[in-house]
Amino acid sequence: MKQSQTSSSIPVLTALSTFNAMVRKELIIMARYPVNFIASFAQVFLIVAIFTLAGSMFFNAPEGQDALENASTGSPSGVVVYGFILYMFLSDTLWTIGYNVRHEQVQGTLEQLYMSPASKFASLVARVANTLIWTGLLSITGAILMSWMIGKLPVENPLLGLYLLIMALSGTFGIGFAFAALTLYLQETAQTVANLLQFAIIVVCAIFFPFSALPEAVRAVSYILPPSYAVDAFRSALMGFPPGFPELLPFEIEFWIVTAFGLLMPLIGYWLYRRAEDAARKTGSLSAY
Amino acid sequence: MNELQANLSAMWASTRMRLVTISRYQGQLVSEIIFPIVFAAMPILLGRASGGPNAEDIFAANTGTRNYVAYMLIGSSVFSIVSNAFWHVAYWLRREQEVGTLESLYLVPTERSWIVAGTALYSAIRSVASALVAYLLGSLIFNVNPLQGEVGLALLFIAVGLIPLYGLTFVFGAVVLKVKEAGAIVNVMQWGVSFLMGIYFPVAIFPPLVKAAALLFPPTWMTNGVRSALLGMGFFFGKWYLDLSVLWAFLLVVPLVGLWTFTRVETSVRRNEGVGQF
Repeated sequence: MKQSQTSSSIPVLTALSTFNAMVRKELIIMARYPVNFIASFAQVFLIVAIFTLAGSMFFNAPEGQDALENASTGSPSGVVVYGFILYMFLSDTLWTIGYNVRHEQVQGTLEQLYMSPASKFASLVARVANTLIWTGLLSITGAILMSWMIGKLPVENPLLGLYLLIMALSGTFGIGFAFAALTLYLQETAQTVANLLQFAIIVVCAIFFPFSALPEAVRAVSYILPPSYAVDAFRSALMGFPPGFPELLPFEIEFWIVTAFGLLMPLIGYWLYRRAEDAARKTGSLSAY
Repeated sequence: MNELQANLSAMWASTRMRLVTISRYQGQLVSEIIFPIVFAAMPILLGRASGGPNAEDIFAANTGTRNYVAYMLIGSSVFSIVSNAFWHVAYWLRREQEVGTLESLYLVPTERSWIVAGTALYSAIRSVASALVAYLLGSLIFNVNPLQGEVGLALLFIAVGLIPLYGLTFVFGAVVLKVKEAGAIVNVMQWGVSFLMGIYFPVAIFPPLVKAAALLFPPTWMTNGVRSALLGMGFFFGKWYLDLSVLWAFLLVVPLVGLWTFTRVETSVRRNEGVGQF
């Protein structure tokens, strides 16, 4: 009792306590579905196997032909594996917040949640916390599997890579908040938009292939999206900046773009979410789906 | 005769209702068309970048055709048909469970198999139409001729392959009834299916046991049949009619096995917790 009084008098501690409670609740729900855990590991193995075998149709040259002699990928395993890792994190962060808001709407518990004095920010971030831990484990497994199947994975500048991953994730948190705001407006259509966005990210941000493979017109779009620089900088750093990498801009510029993305986007995204939420509460559409 | 007409009418009503519902979500239909194109684009772009100027030669040496763009597009389009079949049937069951209407379906005077057939027909119309549009649009985007080879034969392989495919979805439906977690199961299943059917590669590269498993799977024959008809890479048994006869054999056996499995699981679930429990 004393402890709860103390923590409730300090806003940061209250938010942390809410966050902790929400994470625990999400973890308990996740643990109720063990098939999901096993299935996601199996899924990663299959995705890795499929793309590795697809790539091997081009990498494995028979009769002594050297497939990679004129290739422009730097390290094919590096491009594919690091793209895959970043994509797993990005797609989780992007979609999970909006999906959970939608789920609460459909269940009819969103309005109740907003009547509680709990921090809205903590509630939103908690949705992704468990997923990120799980995705981290899956990424490590996926990376090991892929490097075993495709070939040695270059791991240069790991600390720089980690910094870029954190900034990229933070930026995508912001996009996730903005997308959750959009979910409040779009409702059922949100899932379709999320699917389309994921497809767009795969292509425009050149997740599984180098940017050089993209047609000029598509690459022009890549230049205006900060996640493209996150992908380019992240894999270039971890591959040790092979010739031709980074592909979009010099690394120093990409570094600052990714940093600005990571610092500003969460603020912008959360601001957008609060605006959408206020509008929904005023119009009484918060629980409508 | 009257009973058959009534059943057919119920089946068609189920199909039409679902088609009307999905027509309200055009965005979802658009994403179903984009999905196979993006899915094919990944290995195509990776191949172009990593294979360099030798990409076509290396690909031909590995697969039997230089046309890797059409090869990947066919793989991803057939995969979207297969994957949608599983998603539509599994989610139909799961959604009925979640909204509490699955048990009510057991009270209607129509045989459940006709209602399931209505869902399967709806799914087949929706997924084949979007896969065909995706293939044509993808060919246009990647600048390949979509109507090369034996187009009619390719369509025949798809038509014959659809029946065992939907027969398999009964087995899958049984798993969903039993395990409940449709999302996780479908996710693994769709990647497992794409792996076994050789979405981006020939199944000949598999080790013997995996290859045998892949050949027991109707979509593998469907994919290879379509690819061979359009790209002339060679049927498993050398002649198209031999491969097609294997699909016919699947057509006769798989739906019966699927129905038997589904009925057994359904009876067991009804005796225990009931089909409405989720």
